[in-house]
Amino acid sequence: MHDIHVAITVLVLVGVLITLPRALKGPTLMDRILAVNVIGTKTIVLLALVGFLQVELGIDRGAPADDFSRAGFWLDIALAYSLINFIATIAVLKYLERRAVRHETGATKETP
Amino acid sequence: MKETPSLIVRYIARRAVPFIQLYALYVLGHGEDGPGGGFQGGVIFAASFVLLALAYGWGRGRASVPEKVADVIAPAGCLLYAGIGFVSLLIGGAFLQYDAFAGPGADQAARKTAHHFGLIGIELGVMLTVTASMVILFFEMARPAEDEAAEEGATFEQAGHIPEGPRAEESLDG
Repeated sequence: MHDIHVAITVLVLVGVLITLPRALKGPTLMDRILAVNVIGTKTIVLLALVGFLQVELGIDRGAPADDFSRAGFWLDIALAYSLINFIATIAVLKYLERRAVRHETGATKETP
Repeated sequence: MKETPSLIVRYIARRAVPFIQLYALYVLGHGEDGPGGGFQGGVIFAASFVLLALAYGWGRGRASVPEKVADVIAPAGCLLYAGIGFVSLLIGGAFLQYDAFAGPGADQAARKTAHHFGLIGIELGVMLTVTASMVILFFEMARPAEDEAAEEGATFEQAGHIPEGPRAEESLDG
C-alpha cells in the first residue's frame, strides 16, 4: 500500500516542479498568482500524503505501522494551510486590483 | 475609489467565515494533545476577520469588530491568564498550578480534570489576546489613506481624523 502512496507523492512533487517555472518567470502577474495558488493546493495534498507516509514507513517512532491516529495531525495542518492559502490569494488579488485602479489615473503600462 | 468586491468573493467569504472560526476553536481545544493551542487558534480566528475585511471592505470589517471591543478584549485575555495564575496562588497552590483547583486532598482523577480546565482557561486567555491584537494590527495597517477616503466622499471633522465604523455607501452595496 505504501508503494502507491510514495508514487502519488512523487507525482504531486513533479507537478509542483512543472508549475514552478510559471511562478518564477510567468509573463503576466496573473500567471504567477495562479501558479502560486496551484502550488499551494498541491502542498495541501502533499501534507496529507506525508502524514500517511510517516506512519506507513515507520518514520514516526513509537507508533505502530497501522496506527493512523497521528496522521490526523497532518490533516489539521493541511486544513489550516488551505484556509491561509485562500485568504492570501484574495489579499494579493485585492492589492493588485487597488494598485491597478490607482494607476489608471497616472501614466502606466504595467497593468496586469 | 469605491469598494466593489466581486459577488463570488463576497459569497464564499460569507460562507467560509463560520467554518474558519469553528476550526479556530477546534485548534484551541486540541492544543493539549496535537498541533495547535491558543496562539494558533487566535491567529486563525483573526484571519476570519481579515477575510471579512478583504471581501466587504475596511468599513464593514471594522464594524464586525469595533475598535473599543478589540481594545477591551486584548488586555482581558492577559487578565484571564494572570487571573487563573493568581487564583491558584490564593487557594494554596503555586502560580499557575492548575490541579490546585481541585482543592486540598482531592484524588488523582479530580486533579487531572482541574488541570485540563486550568489549561483550557489560560489557552482561552491567550486566544483572546492574540485575536484582538491581530485584528487591531490588521485594521490599523490597512486603514484607508485620507485621499482615498476623501475620494469616497467622506467628510473630516478635523484634520487627521478618520471616521469610525461603517460608512453609509459601504453598508448599502453589500
